[in-house]
Amino acid sequence: MGILARTSTLMRAKMNRLLDRAENPSETLDVAYDKQIEMLRNVKRGVVEMVSTKRRLELQAGKVQDNISKLDAQARQAMDMGREDMARLALERKQHAITELQDLDQQISGLELEQEKLTKAEQRLQAKVQAFRTKKEIIKAQYKAAQAQVRIGSALSGISEEMGDITLSVERAEDKTEALRAKSGAIDELAESGVLNMDIDGKDDISRELDKLSANAEVENELAALKASVSEKKSLPEGQS
Amino acid sequence: MIVRILTEGQYRLPGSFIDQLNEVDNKIVDVVEQEDETGFQKLLIEMLDLVRNNGTEVGMDELVESDIVLPEPDITLIEAEELFTGEGIVPG
Repeated sequence: MGILARTSTLMRAKMNRLLDRAENPSETLDVAYDKQIEMLRNVKRGVVEMVSTKRRLELQAGKVQDNISKLDAQARQAMDMGREDMARLALERKQHAITELQDLDQQISGLELEQEKLTKAEQRLQAKVQAFRTKKEIIKAQYKAAQAQVRIGSALSGISEEMGDITLSVERAEDKTEALRAKSGAIDELAESGVLNMDIDGKDDISRELDKLSANAEVENELAALKASVSEKKSLPEGQS
Repeated sequence: MIVRILTEGQYRLPGSFIDQLNEVDNKIVDVVEQEDETGFQKLLIEMLDLVRNNGTEVGMDELVESDIVLPEPDITLIEAEELFTGEGIVPG
């Protein structure tokens, strides 16, 4: 059995659960419609949650960005005061903050993608639910007609499949958001307890050491540039800058 | 026939494409078995594009059941493996 057959079977299994109550046709239609409305509300809530998670990450990114500017200013200040050790420390922290910011930016764009997908799913469901409602009323009005039963069947299986699919979309979006939220929560906690940076990235010793080496080089480069600009300033005559 | 791409939507695809779909499907079984992630992603896109490029989207207000269901575009090899070993699915 290939992947086509397996996904189809999976889909059908999800659908059957939604169709379980299909006994009294007229009642079934109303129950199904209620379920759809409930699901639509859930999807909308999912989108709202995603937006707020994204906003939270953006706030964090803003804070980290501020931190970077602050550390940069501190490094300059320290160098002005002739404290190379302090400047180095500030620049090291700045490097960590930059890595963190890149990480956050990546998470934000990941979340944007999920949000877009879920919004599309919401629009699709909205349209399908509307179509179902129209169909439901027509079928109810013509219920005595012989084909009503058949029509109920096809309308229900169509919408059930749609709902099964939306359920899957929501589950996937939620899993991804949850993972991002857990990560951003971890950053928050670390920031609060003052042990920010490292070890939350799940990197091994070697890659961390490599990161450190390249960060060191960045620090040395900036340090050299700072030194140069300071000595330049000092060599200028009074009154000029 | 009606084809659904999970989490994406439904398409109307001429029945003549079923052989091509099955062909890619068989190849997917092989790469999943070999745990070949690159091969898997390549074939998955091939399969989805076959439907996207040759089918027409089912209207937003239409309620129809699908004849075939394709996996979601962001399915990973690991998830596909789980699908193949998952509970409740009869092995073929």
